[in-house]
Order: sequence, then structure tokens, then C-alpha cells
Amino acid sequence: MDPVIQTVDLHKNFGRVKALDGLDLEVTAGQVHGFLGPNGAGKSTTLRILLGLARASSGAARVLGLHPWTDAVELHRRVASVPGDVSIWPNLSGGEAIDFLSRLRDGGADRAGYRRNKERLCQLFDFDPTKKGRAYSKGNRQKVALIAALVADCEVYLLDEPTSGLDPLMEAVFTREIRRLVSEKGATVLLSSHILSEVEQLADSVSIIRAGRIVDGGTLDSLRHLTRTGISFAQDQVDVQALQGLSQVHDLTVAAGRIKFNADSDRVHEVLPILGRLGVQGLLVAPPSLEELFLRHYGDALPPQSEEAKPDGGTHHGRSRPPAGTGA
Amino acid sequence: MGGAARPRGRALEMSRFFDLYWQRLRRDRWQLLSWVASIGALAFFATTAVASAYGDDASRTEILHVATATPAILILRGLVRGPALDAFTFFQIFAFLGVLAGLMNTFLAVRHTRAEEEAGRAELVASTAAGRWMPLAATVTHGLVGNVLVAAAVTFGFIAGGLDAAGSLVAGLAVGATGLAFLTVGLLASEFMSTSRGANGAAAGVVVAAYLLRGFGDATGEVSQDGLTVTAAWPSWVSPIGWGQQTFAYTGNRLWPLLLPLGLGIICVSLTAVIMSKRDVGASVLAGRRGRTDARPSLRGPFALALRLQQGAIVSWCIGGFIAGLLTGALGAAIQQVSIANSSVTAILRAMIEAQGTSMTQLVIAVLFEIGGILAAACGLQAVLRLRQEEVAGTAELVLSQPLGRIRWFGSFLGLGAVSVVLVMVFAAFGAWYSLLVSGESAVEVSNLWETAGAQIPAALLYLAAPAAVFVTVPRATVPIGWALLALGVVLGIYGGMLGFDKSLRDLSPFTHTPVVTNTGTDWSGGFWMLGIGAALVTFAFLAVRRREVGTV
Repeated sequence: MDPVIQTVDLHKNFGRVKALDGLDLEVTAGQVHGFLGPNGAGKSTTLRILLGLARASSGAARVLGLHPWTDAVELHRRVASVPGDVSIWPNLSGGEAIDFLSRLRDGGADRAGYRRNKERLCQLFDFDPTKKGRAYSKGNRQKVALIAALVADCEVYLLDEPTSGLDPLMEAVFTREIRRLVSEKGATVLLSSHILSEVEQLADSVSIIRAGRIVDGGTLDSLRHLTRTGISFAQDQVDVQALQGLSQVHDLTVAAGRIKFNADSDRVHEVLPILGRLGVQGLLVAPPSLEELFLRHYGDALPPQSEEAKPDGGTHHGRSRPPAGTGA
Repeated sequence: MGGAARPRGRALEMSRFFDLYWQRLRRDRWQLLSWVASIGALAFFATTAVASAYGDDASRTEILHVATATPAILILRGLVRGPALDAFTFFQIFAFLGVLAGLMNTFLAVRHTRAEEEAGRAELVASTAAGRWMPLAATVTHGLVGNVLVAAAVTFGFIAGGLDAAGSLVAGLAVGATGLAFLTVGLLASEFMSTSRGANGAAAGVVVAAYLLRGFGDATGEVSQDGLTVTAAWPSWVSPIGWGQQTFAYTGNRLWPLLLPLGLGIICVSLTAVIMSKRDVGASVLAGRRGRTDARPSLRGPFALALRLQQGAIVSWCIGGFIAGLLTGALGAAIQQVSIANSSVTAILRAMIEAQGTSMTQLVIAVLFEIGGILAAACGLQAVLRLRQEEVAGTAELVLSQPLGRIRWFGSFLGLGAVSVVLVMVFAAFGAWYSLLVSGESAVEVSNLWETAGAQIPAALLYLAAPAAVFVTVPRATVPIGWALLALGVVLGIYGGMLGFDKSLRDLSPFTHTPVVTNTGTDWSGGFWMLGIGAALVTFAFLAVRRREVGTV
């Protein structure tokens, strides 16, 4: 079976900067595919190329067998998307924006069904569609794009950090809706994120992108051995000798009254009985983070922090320049 | 301890203030520099152009006689104060310098107040120790410094052109004071409107209104016996640009009329402060209303979206066109009544002009429709600017991720732009038609009316086509090049003639080629040429937009 999304040796240059540097990505039909990478790794650029909004400098990209750049309109009939940075029209209400985007898609066919679905999603996401665009918070703007994408009946969903700005409750709603799309309609979902735990909940397989190329990938289980889970508990009168010798325990430290160590994520269950026997108090188990994965496996070649990423003094915030060409 | 801490606290406050001020200056440095340099350069070139075109008192006296005899000419120029070279230059260029200073200041004020609040950056600053008032103080200071620079640029521009130094200083101060008044108008507009577009539109509307009011006042003023000086009528006295003219730079050098713009500035800033002290950050006096749960059935497709986004702007431009039209009849009637009895020279000249088959009313129509044509061009330009704004905001990406061809999206916005250009002229013609009918004009002139309005359309459409071509090739430059093209077209095409610019230079402006409608027949070739060039540019834009990425900077 042909993959639904396939890129071969995809390159994208912005001047001298290589945003994509030979990206090979494959997404199988009916799967949720996690697209993991730190900020600036090229996730959004890839998705924009897959949508035909940007053009690859070289290499090939196919979505549903179509060429995104030349067959964009045909492709968009079958693909729904959520952009990485959602902005909506300041003088249109959220409900109007959702309706407008949906009408571009299907011209308003199946009105009753659409309306029902839209109301259901607005309710699920606890979204007030009557506010004007400028009055929405970041999370609510995100909901506009999410509802507009989820309400569409599509084969493929390209979602660029779809849960950014959502609270945990809404993240859970989102997760449920994506599962429903996949199980009921057999849709294919490509979901980009920089948070490993978020992808873990949904994805069947993942690709990890760094500096414009895929550095690792496969099923989530196959990646599990790469990560470590952080475990900590209160220090009082616990004898840590029992832990020190174990092969699945790493970096054991004692600091600020707490004992901390990392355990191989696929072997956490072997450590837990020991902790039980020790009778530890205030146990905290932190899921493995992408940052940790990156530091561990690719840390040697991490690019230096860019100028913008550096923390800035509070009084200097006002100095940020707006993008050129926004004045009217 | 408290005594020692206080001065240090004040020093800290000062350094915060300078941080804010420096940030504004840094952000605006190129923009401010180009405004100041253009205004100063215009003052200089106007002087040299006038000196070369109308070199001696005799030729200037002749022109002034024609001007006072046909007050329509005065609408676009100014207050006649004698034939001396410096007074004549001031008469020719001051009102336009006032408009430029006004626009520079209203845009500056809105950029650092309402636009910042709308983007959420104001909140970022207001939540620091800078608080609520310091950003306003920094913006006012920034504007003050900008206007001092403008005053200096105008003064040196005139002096470099060879005009009297004391008078040049008065003229410079007049332009600076006018700008200052409009700075505070922009601040006040930012308090009332909830969007920067709205605030910019309202404040720029005040600038244009001030220009027209002083035009009205100058055209209906009292002409002296020799036909070489005019005493402005009352409408000039309710316009900041009119106040600047009242300094009588070079002939009277009075500074007291500049107390009026300063007073207006103090009133506007006080009102701004009162409103700010009562409202939340991000709120406005005229707040936005709640929206609809579902879109109206008519909100379907890219044209409907363009209309929805642009309707406010289009309505404002149409109202502007309508007002320009209404002025025609009112002004025509006023001119007929006022000044004939006062000046024998003027009366004779006027009779001569009318004997050639051109009536006073026709001249008024021609002049005011030129203004209508500029409004229509600006309206067309805005359609393209809106496309660019959609792209910068990211909503273009949202729309183009749906099954919608780029050509249809692009074409819808351009199509609406073309429709709105025509609409503005229709409203201008309708306003003129109505007011002429009311004032009892004969039908001969009225029939030419619609033709004159139609003649403005090709040039205005070019301001849709050329920015569209820029938008697809150098998206980042759409906004600055768009406005620069319009400003250049107005300076060269509408003011170029009286400034004595060379014909080859004036020919660069579309407005130069607008067909002139006369009783004896109209040469439409210029209009057809412009339509052809426009069509070529739009074709190119359509071909290029398919090859262009979306949402790139």
C-alpha cells in the first residue's frame, strides 16, 4: 500500500539558511503520525510544503498521490489543516470564521449535519462562537482553527502543534476527537509537536526531525528505549543503597531533601516494586521529555541557541520590532 | 534614607522614559527620516521650481490675477498674499506641506498607541514599571521631536531655495505646529477607535477635512482691490492648516496664530489623558459589539470575505467622494456670490475666462473631482494593502489551505478594489450632481459631470494594478511602495504643474494623463493608455501569483 504522505530528499532553502535538508518522511494510511522536533527544526516548513503553501527547493513531496504545489486546490478538498500560528480576522466572530472556512471547502453541502457537528464541537471545546476575533485569547483562536479543521470530513489532517494554548482539559477533548476521526473514518493524521508526551498519547508512529532532516523514527515502542523517566521522592530515612546498584537506574542524586534518578522508560515497572518496598513518600514520576531525548542522543550536535531564543530583560520587550509591512 | 532614594528613583524613572522614547525613535528611524526628508525636499524643490517657472513679479502677478479670478484654483493651493517670490511659494505649497505633516503625525500617533494595544504589545509594556502614562509621554515626546525636525527641514528647505530666512523660519514653525495639532488628533482618535485601521482612517479623515475646509475658506475669501491678496473666510479658521496659513509667512510673519494649534494640542492631549485614566488597557470608547454565532448565508467565497473586511473602508472612501462632490455645488454658488464686486481686475479676468466657454463651476468640478480621483486611487490601493495585511496576519494561509485557488482569492480582492474605485467616483459625481441641482446650475455643466467623474477612473485603477504587481513580486515592499507611488503621483501630477516641474517629470504621474473634459470634446487617449497599462500589470500579477509562495515575509 502506498503511503498517504511521502517526501523524498526534500530541501527548502531560505537564502543561505537550509530549513529542510534532505527530509524523507512517510506516513501510512489510517495512522496518527507524530512529527517531533524542537522549535525551528523545520516542522512547519514541511507542513507548509505538504499543503502547497510553500514550494520545495528540491526533492519530491506527494500527499494522497497528488503534487501539493500544482494540485493544491484538489488536495485541499481532501486535506484539512491547522496552521502553526493561528490568527483569525479581528472583526469576524469565531462562529463566522468557522462557517466561512467550511463554506470554502464544500459550498455548504449537508447543512444540517454540518451545523450539528459544529455545535457539538463548540460545546466539546467549551468555545463561545459569538466573540469577535480580536477578543479571543490564544487558546480560543486555536479552537477556531481546530473546529474548522475537525468539522471538515477529510481523508488527511495536517496539524501543526494543534494543542498549543489549550488547557489540559481541552487537550483531552482534542485527543478523543482525533481518535474518533481515525477509528470511525479511517483518517490519516500528521501531528507536529515539540512535546513528546502529547504525541505519545495519540501517535502510532513518530518521526523525529532535527535541523531539517529526519534523525529517528518508527513506532513509539521502538523509541521507548531511547528515553528515560524522571523519578523523585522525599529523602526522609530512605536507604537508597538498594537502588544504587540497579542497571535501570541512572544519575541518582540527593538534593534539597529529595532523591532523584532517571530510569529507562521501558523498565520503569521493574523499579516500582523496589520503591514500594522502601515505602517512599511524595513520589513523583515525570514523563520523558523530548528535550531529554534530544540532549541524550543528539546533544553533541545541537545548534547553538539563536539570538531570539535568549532570555531578554523585561524592560526590553517593547523593543521587539513588528514584522515589516504591517503598517497601513 | 527616603531622601536619598528619591532622586535615584527619579533617575530610574528618567532612564525608563528614555528607554521607551529610544525604542520609538529606533523603530521609526527610517520612516521618520524619509517623512522629514521628503517634506524638506518638497519645500526646497517647490522654491526652485517656482523661481524658474515664474521668475519675475510680472508673471507671478499675472498668475495671481488668474487665481483670484478663478477661486477654484485656490482650493488646491492656498492663501494669496502678494506676488513676491517667497510669498508666492508659500501660497503654492504650504497647504500640501500641512497635509503631509498631518498624515505623518496621525500615523505616528496611532502606530505607538492603538496599534500597539491592538497587537498586545502595549500590555507587555504597561505591566512593567513603565506603567500607563510613561508610554504616552514617550509617544508625545517622539512626536514633538519629529515636528521640530519637520519645522527645521522646511525652514532649511526654503532658505536653501533662496527665500528670506525669518519668513522661512515662520513657515517652518507653521508646518511643525500644524503637524503637532494632528499628532494629538491621532492620539485622541486612538482612544475612540478599537482598531488601528479605524483610528488611522478617522485621523486621516480629519487631516483631509482640514485641507478641504481651508480650501473652502480660501476660495470664498475676500479678494483685495488689486486682486493680489485674499482674506480667508471663516472655514479657514476652523482648520489647523488654515491656522498655519494665517502666519502670513514672509509678508506678515505673525506667530500668534500658532497658539491655536498648540491650544488644540493641549485640549486633545488632556482629553486623551482623561479617557485613558478611565479605561482598561486594550479597551476603547467605541467598543466592538458581540458577533454572530453563525455567518450570514452571504458570507461565502473570497469576494464576500474581501467585502466583509473592506466594507468599512469602502463606505468611508465613498462618503469622502460624496462630500467632495457636494462641495462642488456649494462652492460654485458661493464663489459666484462673493467676490465679483470686490475686484475690478478679477471681474474682467473672470469674464474673459468664461468667454472661452469654461465656466467657474466647471473649474470647480475639475478641481474637486481631482481630489475625488485621489480618494478613488487610495481606495484601490487599499484593496491590495488588505491582501498584504491578510498575508502578514496569517489569515491568508488559513484561507488558502482550503480548496480555493490562489487566482480566485487574488482576483476577488482586486475585483472588489476595481468596483470600489468606480463607486467612489459615482458617489462624487452624485454629490456634485445633487448640489448643483440644488444651487440651480444650468444643465450644460451637469451633463459633463459624469464624464469628468469617469475620466478619473483609469488613473485610479492604475493604483490598483501597480501595487498588485508589487505584491506578487516584492511582497514585503507592498505597503511602503504603494503609498510612495500614490504620494509621488499626487505631487507630480496634481501639484507638479503649479510647482513648475518639468513636463517629462510630470508625465510619470497617472494623474497627468487623466482625460480633460471640455465642452468642445474630450481626448480619451490618455485614459485608454492607462487602462492598457493597468491591464498588462494585472495580467502579469495573475501569472506571477501562481508561482508565489503564501505567507512569506
